Amino acid sequence: MDLRRCIGCQTCSIACKQEWNVPVGRYRSWVKQVAKGVFPATRKSFLPVLCNNCDKPICVTVCPVQASYQKPNGIVEVDPHKCIGCRYCMASCPYGVRYLHPDLRIVQKCNWCSHRVEEGGRPACVEACPASARIFGDLTDPAGEISRRIAQNGIQQIKPEMGTGPRTFYIGLDEITVEVKAHGHELMHLLE
Amino acid sequence: MDSAQLLYDIHNGETFGTLIAIYFYLTGLSAGSFIISTLSYGFGFERFKPLGKIGIVIATLLLVAAPMFLLAHSGQKFRVWHLFVYLNFTSPITWGSFLLILYPLNCIVYGFFMFRGRKRLTRMFGLIGIPLALMVHGYTGFILAFGKARPLWNSSLMPLLFLVSAMVSGIAMMIIVSVIRDRFFTKEHVLNTDILSGLAAMLGWCLVFDLFLTGTEMVVHGISHLGAQESVALLLTGPFAGLFLVLENLLGKVIPMAVMLAPRTRRMVPLLVLASILVMIGIYTMRYNVVVGGEYIPLL
Repeated sequence: MDLRRCIGCQTCSIACKQEWNVPVGRYRSWVKQVAKGVFPATRKSFLPVLCNNCDKPICVTVCPVQASYQKPNGIVEVDPHKCIGCRYCMASCPYGVRYLHPDLRIVQKCNWCSHRVEEGGRPACVEACPASARIFGDLTDPAGEISRRIAQNGIQQIKPEMGTGPRTFYIGLDEITVEVKAHGHELMHLLE
Repeated sequence: MDSAQLLYDIHNGETFGTLIAIYFYLTGLSAGSFIISTLSYGFGFERFKPLGKIGIVIATLLLVAAPMFLLAHSGQKFRVWHLFVYLNFTSPITWGSFLLILYPLNCIVYGFFMFRGRKRLTRMFGLIGIPLALMVHGYTGFILAFGKARPLWNSSLMPLLFLVSAMVSGIAMMIIVSVIRDRFFTKEHVLNTDILSGLAAMLGWCLVFDLFLTGTEMVVHGISHLGAQESVALLLTGPFAGLFLVLENLLGKVIPMAVMLAPRTRRMVPLLVLASILVMIGIYTMRYNVVVGGEYIPLL
């Protein structure tokens, strides 16, 4: 995620919604927006959020029915036939990227569009990003573009201290943008 | 940060909420009344014998009612059997699915032998039930403690705090039950003050321990990392301050503790009952504050 390029246009959010029929009011991928500074020294700052498909996913640790599981390629999936909708994974995820589908009553989340990736394609959000701020690739390939970018840039992760091994890497991640929070009811007000 | 303002963010909805808080509350009451029941039938404290039978009946009923709230909370109610087929032993909920079967079964067997008057077997199943009662409530503390993204939950004190508050609410309920039983369901209508003062003293000291644990949690979280500080601020000065400071701790713990420990007030039965009601409300508020307050602060 190259934040020097992100323009906060939410095309990724829309692409994700279209790809997965994500229900109203729920998001697998979105861009948090923060206004920084005092006029005239101001800047709008963006934080694209999606599932980190962690190396050591806490959601898989706590899922009581093996519905959340990690594929050999590292992507964390939710088995729609096993999930009982207890929401323990949502409670334990440090990133808040899971939601309960209001009609299906099971938990869903971003799986980096594994149906596309496993056919050699790229996730819908990556495909759609007009600023090429999202780069997707195989971390285990030392010569790949992802490995090169991680090696040659200053790299950040969101909440690496949670010890889940998040695997969405950011260039130019702004700590202030991560930390600014609204309480639940304020956020609802904001969205209205 | 004064010069940074949130413009847009997504909150994907509540995870546990009130239903789980009620579930924790009911298992706590059940574990507490089970332990009171075993005081006489398991450990031989004869003065608590009148509470043995009613204790186990209430413990069993509560533990039958409690999982109904889990069921109501779960999205796919007809998939509950998955919990016993697709096991994941790193998940506290998987531990719980077995405890929630074993504990009520043991309660029923223990109660059966008690009503049949089989002393040795009653004692045996009473003693087997103690670790089960502790685990069935202790595991709920683990559920929250494993939610490592939420600083209020992610504390190794959580299982112990849940056990102590289970004892607190259970004893308070038994005080009320004991008074109601003596007043309305005995021929003599005479209150057993011996039991009441015994329970009151026990409740008083459990409240001391509970307050100590809650205070420890607040102090340590208060000087810990940013997320922990935010969770303390939520309870002490934020939207949960009224619930936490007044309803949970002042009315629900400090005042009842004074009533239970002062020798004069301990003998005043109406005051004792009133304080016990306050304790029961206070511990429910504690469950609510921990569960709902814990997930109140957004993650990103």
